[in-house]
Amino acid sequence: MEFGSIEREIHVDATPEVVYEVVSTPEHLRGWWPDEAEFESAPGGTGTFRFGDGASPDAHVVALTVVEADPPRRFSFRWMHEPDETATPGNSLLITFDLVPSGAGTLLRLTETGFREQGWEAAVLEEQYRDHVTGWDHYLPRLAPYASGLVQAP
Amino acid sequence: MSVIVDDELWSAVGDPIRRRMLDLLLTDGGGTATTLSERLPVTRQAVAKHLGVLDRAGLVHATPSGRERIYAVDEAQFARAVAQLSSVGAAWDARLRRIKRIAEAIQLSRDSRPET
Repeated sequence: MEFGSIEREIHVDATPEVVYEVVSTPEHLRGWWPDEAEFESAPGGTGTFRFGDGASPDAHVVALTVVEADPPRRFSFRWMHEPDETATPGNSLLITFDLVPSGAGTLLRLTETGFREQGWEAAVLEEQYRDHVTGWDHYLPRLAPYASGLVQAP
Repeated sequence: MSVIVDDELWSAVGDPIRRRMLDLLLTDGGGTATTLSERLPVTRQAVAKHLGVLDRAGLVHATPSGRERIYAVDEAQFARAVAQLSSVGAAWDARLRRIKRIAEAIQLSRDSRPET
């Protein structure tokens, strides 16, 4: 039962600078993960993710703490700890995005570690979250207006 | 109904000692409260209690053997627990696809508006 970490990589046809913005700023995170994100995107910066409607009892709020912010190479943060606790390896999961230039684009590497300690709780949260929304059904309608909004932005 | 079952399953495997017990039962092909307590930093009584939790979650099955009960991992239920954890990986695959789409949309919009 070795569930120590999850590793993934994906090629993105965008520069590391653009990919860094998307993985590290609250405005963009809302487009691909939580319903609401508030945090300062600098080392030591703290904040929260919210999953679900804020007015609903089903909503979950979890804390995050930025560990490294090294644009456009690496962004990492800890999450899942209680909002009044300091993030440590024992109470949180560490998510690291490494960005490597690849042709005109970027190789984006994701690592999430800490599963032996916290992964079960995180998985429960994910399961509960997916009971309410199922991936693309939830995100696709959001994404088109989001992308065209970017194109129209001054 | 399925949500309740899942809650039991998750809390059963959420405890480090119980995960260690599952590891030992899988490696050894089975064991009793006595044999498990010899290899864990907890009492036989505590092991018996943990085995009860695992049994209720359907993760182990007991077969009487003399004065002891021999426990073995229920492979179907264990596979189900593992599958739920691997869904965390699937969630990341979906997130990364969304990151890709958003970043590529931004890049396209910037390329079509060259800096002056």
